[in-house]
Amino acid sequence: MKRMITLQVNGDTCEVAVEPWHTLLDVLRDQLRLTGTKKSCGIGTCGVCTVIMDGLAILSCLKLAIESQGHDITTIEGLGSADELDPVQQSFIEHGAIQCGFCTPGVIMSARALLDKNPQPSDEDVREALSGTFCRCTGHIKTIEAVKHAAEKQAGAGGTSDGQ
Amino acid sequence: MQRRSRQERGAQVMVSKYSVVGQRHPRLDGRQKATGRSEFSDDVYLPGMLHGKIVRSSIPRGRIVNIDTSRAEQLPGVKAVITHKDTGGLMPGPDTVLLCDEMVNYFGDEVAAVAAVDEDTAAEAAELIKVEYEPMTPLFSMKEAMAEGVPPIHNYIEDNCADDISMAFGDVDKAFSESEHIRTDEYVIHPSHSSFAEHHVVVADYSLPEKLTVWTPVQSSAIIQMSLAQNFGLSSSNVRIMNLNTGGAFCGRGSERPHHYIAAILSRKTAKPVKIICTADEEFIIYRGGGKYNFTFKTGVMKDGRLKAIEADLLHDCGPYVETQFIMLRFTGFQLQMLYKVEASKFTGKLVYTNNPPYFFHHGAGLVAMRFAFGAQLDAIAKDLGIDPVEIRLKNAVDKGYTTLSEMHFASCGLKECIQKTVKKSGWKKKHGKLPPYRGIGIGCGVLRAGGKGMFDHDTSAVFIKIDEDGKVSLVTGLPDMGQGSHTAMAIIAAESLGITPEDIKVIAGDTDITPFDAGAISQRGTFTTGNAVKNACSDVKKQLGKTAATEMGVKPSELVFKDGKIFSKGKPEKAILFEDAVYNTLHSSEGRFVMGRGFYNPPTEGVSGGDYKGNPALAYSFGAQIAEVEVDPETGIVKLLNMTVAHDVGRAINPMAVEGQLDGQVFSGMGQTLFEECIMENGRVLNPSLLDYKLPRPFEVPGIEHIIVETNDPYGPFGAKEVGQGPIQCTSQAIANAVSNAIGHHIKELPITPERVLEAIRQKNKNQ
Repeated sequence: MKRMITLQVNGDTCEVAVEPWHTLLDVLRDQLRLTGTKKSCGIGTCGVCTVIMDGLAILSCLKLAIESQGHDITTIEGLGSADELDPVQQSFIEHGAIQCGFCTPGVIMSARALLDKNPQPSDEDVREALSGTFCRCTGHIKTIEAVKHAAEKQAGAGGTSDGQ
Repeated sequence: MQRRSRQERGAQVMVSKYSVVGQRHPRLDGRQKATGRSEFSDDVYLPGMLHGKIVRSSIPRGRIVNIDTSRAEQLPGVKAVITHKDTGGLMPGPDTVLLCDEMVNYFGDEVAAVAAVDEDTAAEAAELIKVEYEPMTPLFSMKEAMAEGVPPIHNYIEDNCADDISMAFGDVDKAFSESEHIRTDEYVIHPSHSSFAEHHVVVADYSLPEKLTVWTPVQSSAIIQMSLAQNFGLSSSNVRIMNLNTGGAFCGRGSERPHHYIAAILSRKTAKPVKIICTADEEFIIYRGGGKYNFTFKTGVMKDGRLKAIEADLLHDCGPYVETQFIMLRFTGFQLQMLYKVEASKFTGKLVYTNNPPYFFHHGAGLVAMRFAFGAQLDAIAKDLGIDPVEIRLKNAVDKGYTTLSEMHFASCGLKECIQKTVKKSGWKKKHGKLPPYRGIGIGCGVLRAGGKGMFDHDTSAVFIKIDEDGKVSLVTGLPDMGQGSHTAMAIIAAESLGITPEDIKVIAGDTDITPFDAGAISQRGTFTTGNAVKNACSDVKKQLGKTAATEMGVKPSELVFKDGKIFSKGKPEKAILFEDAVYNTLHSSEGRFVMGRGFYNPPTEGVSGGDYKGNPALAYSFGAQIAEVEVDPETGIVKLLNMTVAHDVGRAINPMAVEGQLDGQVFSGMGQTLFEECIMENGRVLNPSLLDYKLPRPFEVPGIEHIIVETNDPYGPFGAKEVGQGPIQCTSQAIANAVSNAIGHHIKELPITPERVLEAIRQKNKNQ
């Protein structure tokens, strides 16, 4: 039987009726129509559905909606502002890190979660953070580059680096 | 206001040959994709939409005794249940019935389907359908399938041979008899999977009998539109294909599949739109990635390394339905005489029906396997003769102006330049034969056509350009963008032609009710063919604007140059009219001409003759070379790809950023096919149907990549451009495989080169010593 739950998504409070087996991904897409988060494998192998929950990159296909209550959830729609893209999004565009774009939201969310925790990641940190994602088109080459550039740019903007 | 900048902007012209072509340009839809706004087929939610689910065969081969749908029909929320009798005898292919009638031919064959109010209900209903089978002995190996007296998979094809071709050019016997060294080797390439991020998905709306609308990711709207129209007895313009965005294709989305028909029939039956999306399991069950290839290569050479004759035999497992694999067979035959100058070539190929899942093209047009096999043998020959693998390739490489035995003609060719540049950049001479144990270096080369005839008797692209009052351009094309950046490339070609910026251009695509005919993003034809159509549409626009501009400036239309947002006379750049002013003045002239350009391109080639396979199917061919460096761990058998040096003759890089993206993606996919990816088959089932078990490279495995873009300025290409769609991957497998062979000192003959196979190869090598 469906039950009402309350989710905190991108700063909004959303009330939705869900079955106990509905995943966070199902609810984001089918009920809240936040279709920026894509569904691919549905079994936690591709990382396409990655969102940020309480600062951690998580697979929304493996998270039940009912256990997502009381957590702070950010989806791709919650990044950046009306006037400005998130530096990660901007960097992905500028560095050719987007091709078909299907996995892009998931990869960007994984990168965002990394930079929130670790603003100056090493090459290995970046590769590790993106290891849960699957991108057939770019072969991860330009996505890795884009995340590193976003980190540099962010550091520059925050005055912690004399870079850009 | 309109006069503000004419004079100052007039002074900056003619600095470089091209203003936009050749600049690094981020994709135009980058912002939509980076923010999750790009709509894919699964993002389509229509009012009243139902969800479909397909019931699939649970055995690999057998007779259907009974299908009981009664319990499913009674489940609340179920709106339709269909079996073969509801399909009107529809046949998606000459050997394929829609929803099995008497026989099931592979594990996963479509048997029935349901539509229900939501996905959960549809899945539950599908479970309630009980199918009773009388199992039959399945045929999993090609050898079994070809044995005499076995009951054939299709009773009208007794020998289970779906296709059988022989293609010979030149005097093969003579060339072999004159050869000073002949080698014969056998190669096996195991099945792999396309693994697009976006699963197979369709939303079909056939609510009204006169019109079918289908949202689905495809490489060619034209092909699926034509097939659906034919099979449903509709006029093709009453089948509307909405190809919003395609989440990767890699040669695997060329045509329609059973789920497209099934969704349409469910929609017709319920008069509601129906969505079907495949689960991870289904993606692998119906996977139609590259199949199993058994190659035998016999090659004759002179002692100095000159190639005399190449003879290849291919046995290809095509599963129970032939799909498009007959095309792959012919492409393979042609390839034998396209890359290296050879006196004679002979190809024999067979498609064999089995009860494995049906196969399809995999990334690289099914040719990566062939290129691996021949590339490996060429290295073995070089070793036999004591010649450097690079030298044997350079000695035999085709050149500009070369005409192959089958009469393909290369108007531009950068093969030698690609080889030489990769050799230099990778430090080949310092490394080959001089690396420490278990380190290796290998080279691979490739050739592929840019579009051309063969898939159809035409290779047509049509393009419209409409220009609004403000001078902004809408480019309307039926060419899909699966991620390769074709829409941005088309905008760049239009911007260069019209002397404006790509940002002034909006690409309108993905809706066959609006877009003109385009054969699609198949056969690496987008940049070359649709690009030429775009250029031609721009010429039409320039004629219309030129008339206005020439009259205003008092010059001849033939003297006009379109550049930097202006139109000016060749000799007098200071006298110019702004592009948008010319548009405005043309529109609001007393004649009232709305500026609208029409462009068309169908390469003027004769195509290939069906009889002797001779003729030139395409006007342009791309070439490439790649060098791989690997390190092998002799304890674990794990191969680490250290770096790749990648050169591709693209003719002209319309957008170097996108070219690099294509090179990266193909190296990645090629390394997957070579080192990682294998659908492990047992009794017709894929034992590893998930991305956890079907291992693909991930970020820690990807190598460093050096890009070398070679530009040979093709005489027929738009601004000299050819292709980068699937040419580069032709080189990847051979380069990596040859590097592994070089590292362990043993000729690798089987793909993928998994750790187990590496350890086995090392054991073999030690045994032979």
